[in-house]
Amino acid sequence: MIEVRALSKKYNGKSVLEGIDLDINDNETLVILGPSGQGKTVFIKSLVRLIEPDSGTIRYDGIDVLTLPKRKFIAVQKKIAFVFQDNAIFDFLNVKENLSLYLRMHSKLSEKEINKEVLRAIEFVRLNEEVLDKYPEELSGGMMKRVAIARAMMQQPCYMFYDEPTMGLDEANIEMVVELIHKFKKSVCTTAVIVTHDIHLMHAVSDRVVLLKEGKIVFVGKKEEISEESLHKLYDTGVRDDI
Amino acid sequence: MQTKIIFENVGGRTVDFFTAIYEAWQLVIDSIKALPHIWFYRRQVAEQIYVFLVKTLPIAAVISIFVGLGAMIQGTYQSSALIPRTYVINVIFKSTIIELCPIILSLVLAGKLGASLAAELGSMKISEQVEALETMSLDPVGFLIMPRILAGMIMLPIITIFANFLAMFSVFFIASIATDWISPKEFLSGLQMNYRAFEFYFGNLIKPAVNGFFIALIGSYFGMRTHGGALGVGRAATNAVVVSAILIVFFDYYLARLLL
Repeated sequence: MIEVRALSKKYNGKSVLEGIDLDINDNETLVILGPSGQGKTVFIKSLVRLIEPDSGTIRYDGIDVLTLPKRKFIAVQKKIAFVFQDNAIFDFLNVKENLSLYLRMHSKLSEKEINKEVLRAIEFVRLNEEVLDKYPEELSGGMMKRVAIARAMMQQPCYMFYDEPTMGLDEANIEMVVELIHKFKKSVCTTAVIVTHDIHLMHAVSDRVVLLKEGKIVFVGKKEEISEESLHKLYDTGVRDDI
Repeated sequence: MQTKIIFENVGGRTVDFFTAIYEAWQLVIDSIKALPHIWFYRRQVAEQIYVFLVKTLPIAAVISIFVGLGAMIQGTYQSSALIPRTYVINVIFKSTIIELCPIILSLVLAGKLGASLAAELGSMKISEQVEALETMSLDPVGFLIMPRILAGMIMLPIITIFANFLAMFSVFFIASIATDWISPKEFLSGLQMNYRAFEFYFGNLIKPAVNGFFIALIGSYFGMRTHGGALGVGRAATNAVVVSAILIVFFDYYLARLLL
């Protein structure tokens, strides 16, 4: 379980997160929804300490991670995987090297065993083996997203974080990402936090939804409980086409 | 009002300057802290050593040959007939291997390696690849910077030794073989004249290692603090070249004063 209390972050005197209180339960898929510039990415990156918040606490299974020195945080970090908005696939490594990097650095598995895991991951995201020798620049956006999810899978995480996983993808790839999020939850990691502005994605994968506006939580609950009015307020300009 | 703005600007720039020094120093400390984990990052160190070698050998070869030839032309042109030719060779030899070759090579490599290093790390930074390393429990300093600094400090002396050898060989080839300006025997005695081992360590090992350290450190520093997209990457690359070039000539003078 992740407990967030009074989490705040300012940039140049402007509040981006204001006293966020939130519990993320085990085995749930929590979607943080909001339009651009509301602090969603700052929030999700604060949860994994990619951004250090100004104040507040974040507890993973009771451990306050913000007070831990970076060295000790690694034990918690190993339970976390993060899929970045732009995928962040290492462009100096090919797909196989990208996928095997984590195990190569953190496990004592033999080359043969690592290769087996790589093949398992690539099969999981429904890519074929030919892609393994390719470099990120040779992949399409959808393929990159699948490689990013496969790389996260190699970490066998307890907590999975997705930052705008459907951003810039076409309909077919969005469906594929939705399917992979479900599949990932079923077979690899049961707790997921997803930041998105995509209401379709929220409907498709969420167990619980948080609406974030101007760095504050304006709603927490099940997707069925979200009124048209709250979505209206959140996006200001009215009901969007993709609701 | 105008005075206030001037003071604010000067104050702001002074703070930025000292912050940059502090941050670069912090990067050095973090790299030293990552050194005990060198076995963990051995693949990255080996890769960087290879990259330094492949990227620099051809350009080092071209530069060193022409630096040697240029020094020879100047040496022979400036010296009068009254100066023995072995002395002229000695002056060419020492000025080339202690000063000319190491500094020209370092400045060119600051442009080539420093800029590419800053651009490479800068684009990794803005495309969240550095953050991706952190989420994979890998230390970006240990994974990206320490191997580059180490490779710079190891490879620049090796490349300089190679360049110095090539420079003097080209001098020998033109002076003794192609033009018969000096006999091979006299050429060799010119090289051996007034021989001091420390001068060779200084020109081939100490100075290039210091320069390699600055090229890698400054390139990494500007790369890691890149922000603002493609424009930011370009700015990081330019800054890396300018600052490392200044540090190379600055320390070239002070190291010579201190050690020679």
